Amino acid sequence: MKGKQFLSGQSILKRIFLFLIPFGILLIFAFLQILNLMIFQSEKFKTQADTNRVLKEKVFPPRGLIYDTKGRIIVDNFIRQDLVITPNFINDYSKYLSLLSEITGEDENILENVFYEKLSEIKPFQSFTLLRGLNDEQLAKLKLNSSNLAGTEIIPSFSRNVVYGESSGSLIGYLGFASRKDILNNPNLKNFNDQQIGLLGIEKEFDEHLRGTIGYRFSEKDAKGRVLDVLAIEPSIKGKNLKLSIDIELQNKLYKEFEGRKGALIAIEPDTGLIRAMISSPSYDPDHFNNLNVEKIKTLLSNKNSPLFNRAISGQYPPASTLKPFIGLVALEEKVISWRDKILDEGEFFVEGDERPYRGWKEGGHGEVDMEKAIAESSDVYFYNIAFDLTVSSISPFLDKFGFGKSSQLFKNESEGILPDQKWKLGQKGEFWFKGDTINMGIGQGYILATPLQIALAYSALINGGKLISPRIVESIDGEEEKFSSKQIDIKNKKNLDYIQEALISVVESDTGTAKNIFNPKLRIAGKTGTAQVKSLIDDKKYQEIRENISLRDHALFVGYGPVEDPSLVVVVIVENGESGSLVAAPIVKKAIDFYQK
Amino acid sequence: MSRKPLDYSLNLDIETSKRKTSLDLWIVLSVLCLSVFGIFMIYSASQSLEMALRQGIYLVLGFSLLLLISFSNFRKMELFYLYSYWPGLFFLTLVLIIPSEGNETKRWIDFGLFTFQPSELMRFLIPVSAAAFLSRKPMISNFDYLTVFILTMIATYLVLLQPDLGTSIIVILSGILPILLGGLSWTFISFGVFTVLLSLPVLWFSLFEYQKQRIITLFNPEADIYGAGWNIAQSKIAIGSGGIFGKGYLNGSQSQLNFIPESHSDFIFSVISEEFGLVGVTSLFIVYGLLIYRLLLISTNHQNRFAKILSATLSMILLAYISINICMVIGLLPVVGMPLPFVSQGGTALIINLVTIGIILSLRRET
Repeated sequence: MKGKQFLSGQSILKRIFLFLIPFGILLIFAFLQILNLMIFQSEKFKTQADTNRVLKEKVFPPRGLIYDTKGRIIVDNFIRQDLVITPNFINDYSKYLSLLSEITGEDENILENVFYEKLSEIKPFQSFTLLRGLNDEQLAKLKLNSSNLAGTEIIPSFSRNVVYGESSGSLIGYLGFASRKDILNNPNLKNFNDQQIGLLGIEKEFDEHLRGTIGYRFSEKDAKGRVLDVLAIEPSIKGKNLKLSIDIELQNKLYKEFEGRKGALIAIEPDTGLIRAMISSPSYDPDHFNNLNVEKIKTLLSNKNSPLFNRAISGQYPPASTLKPFIGLVALEEKVISWRDKILDEGEFFVEGDERPYRGWKEGGHGEVDMEKAIAESSDVYFYNIAFDLTVSSISPFLDKFGFGKSSQLFKNESEGILPDQKWKLGQKGEFWFKGDTINMGIGQGYILATPLQIALAYSALINGGKLISPRIVESIDGEEEKFSSKQIDIKNKKNLDYIQEALISVVESDTGTAKNIFNPKLRIAGKTGTAQVKSLIDDKKYQEIRENISLRDHALFVGYGPVEDPSLVVVVIVENGESGSLVAAPIVKKAIDFYQK
Repeated sequence: MSRKPLDYSLNLDIETSKRKTSLDLWIVLSVLCLSVFGIFMIYSASQSLEMALRQGIYLVLGFSLLLLISFSNFRKMELFYLYSYWPGLFFLTLVLIIPSEGNETKRWIDFGLFTFQPSELMRFLIPVSAAAFLSRKPMISNFDYLTVFILTMIATYLVLLQPDLGTSIIVILSGILPILLGGLSWTFISFGVFTVLLSLPVLWFSLFEYQKQRIITLFNPEADIYGAGWNIAQSKIAIGSGGIFGKGYLNGSQSQLNFIPESHSDFIFSVISEEFGLVGVTSLFIVYGLLIYRLLLISTNHQNRFAKILSATLSMILLAYISINICMVIGLLPVVGMPLPFVSQGGTALIINLVTIGIILSLRRET
């Protein structure tokens, strides 16, 4: 009985030997083939390996082009000639470099530095680019001397050209070489190691699409590395073209308005989320980076006004009075106050048990104000009152629905701003939330910070019926439309949105409105001014003293939309240290809407 | 006293011999030789000190495991062996859900410091658990064989999903060999062979386009010299141009010029051939031959059924790796992902191979 199903040890042994046979046969064949290759065909293969080297080389694709919404080209490629060398084919490096320096007129020391740095990075027989963008004279001389220059090739490559330079620079971004860390994080970049990729802005965000696919060229080379014949080409695939939602004419025109100023602008369609202009000032010409203009890059990197920083999406500012319409809206929604209820504004607001007054910007106050007047004249005391009644636990969740305090996912390097509440303050500051914090938040000061993009999206939601839209900067990629999405914010009473819009119209159209200076009956604009304090006013310090230091002056804000009857554009303008929202920021918004309507 | 499962597996018709505790030095030395040689070849092929060092660390780790396991008592591990299939299956499923990013295939799980290839683990766990399962009681029914077969096919299917054709072939072998050695009747075996032959056409159509291309290339290497045939053509040039004595370490122009694809992993044999020639290749064959011979010797000398099946299966899988890999790089078999044991770059493979040796050595205790 025992072990009937078992094979005896002897039988297992037999089976082991049996199943070894196929492997044995395989190995015998393998060894015969190896003998064949290594002895009988060895000479043939040695010749193949030594004399005629068929090399498989990468062919880089041209990067995708970038157009504006009307099909005008914004970022272009042009062909340049690069000098590519293979050090293994060069006998005497220093002789070669001095000859090359003589022929091209380039500084020998610089050539040497680049040469030895790259040499240490490559594997044997690999080649690298030593000089980029050769001019005609250099090309002609190189051709004449080609017989003396073993291991040298002139290879065409593409150079990036941002057509309008600075005006769209901070939006477009620049190219550069992938760092070791980039490659580690994204193995797809491994093949692009001697090639520029997008490092900032649109160029980075859409790099995957713009980059294209590498092709290969099989060419026969002689022992000196000179190409004898190109045998086959596996073509590269061109990068995809982007069509941006930007109107480049609008962008250029508005960028001029920021000359000599620091600030940002966002112009967005409130119904579609398409961004028509995005400005950050000061900006830079990405071609300095794209063409490796070392001197210019150094100046840009050391510029204290940080031109490489895109303020429109990454700058975080106190929203100041531009937040008031939202505070008003929560108050209406929460029925803390009604549209026509009046509050007496005598210029100061006191909290029980605290002697310190919360001052309004206008000495003596605005008198009796309802919400419409409070927004139109930007009464601080009115909003101190309702914010105090609302408390932070109803304000913050409401602002969250309008997109404050979170990224809109347009760019990866977007800032999130700060939407404070009790938990935030305890976590970040280690302090409890005070009533005073809520009061400050009522006028958009204190801890709350927002990016221009966030403010633009929140205002879009105010006027498009309460939809929080996902912003878009790219309309289509190679003709394929980008998806649009929006999220409906639940508003208890839609009538409240109309009230707030009425108030925003009064800002421009009423006699006492803070932005009455931009009123134009032919093209009606509504909006809200804001003056963001950079440094809080301490009682004994005179306002004039603070003014003397430019960098401590208030930021000027204006958010506007128009035409009022059917708004086609929401524009946010922030001018850093511009002091007056109505005099500095509002006229720029007006120009934007006027131009866009044409 | 209760009887443990593996006690049944003693074949009492062979006399019990003395217990051995010393290590088989031939095996340990040849494995060490191959792995250290591998590190040098990886450096030559990749020109990356980092890659070579990494492999060195894996070697130290794997070799310590080898020693540890080789002194363990396999009798005490039987329960662990019996169920070891399941954690393997778990990782194999996990890799499909959370594969390491940035690869086209889902073969690796990323553990931050290192990546881990579950299919390599599975092709080792299957023989261990199958051998234990097929030795756990005196009567092994056809139903038991069927169970092993089905579980093997599940694992194979998961590996194919990654997709990894090379390892899936090994996974099938690692399940089939214990069944065949365990004593499935010849009727069933012939039936199985017949079924496989019939299903070949179906198999062909279920291959990916690039896999078909590789098979076509095999039979007609000149058809597409700059596409699918490129790798093999270059690999052959490398091997052939090595001649009798080779071009010398770090001097193979084919390998150093990056003509050979994956030269540090699957195609490392081409680099060895180019740089060390026929002399080097023959020495490699001798060391491999010695290793396999000594491993099989443990199997043939053993009278415990479990040990016999397991050590024979594991040795034969090593043999399969060696022969398929070499046939592949010299153009006798289509290109599938299959490393050369102990020599090719790959941490999981190296550690698993060393652990395999450790297990086989641990079985020697009762020969």
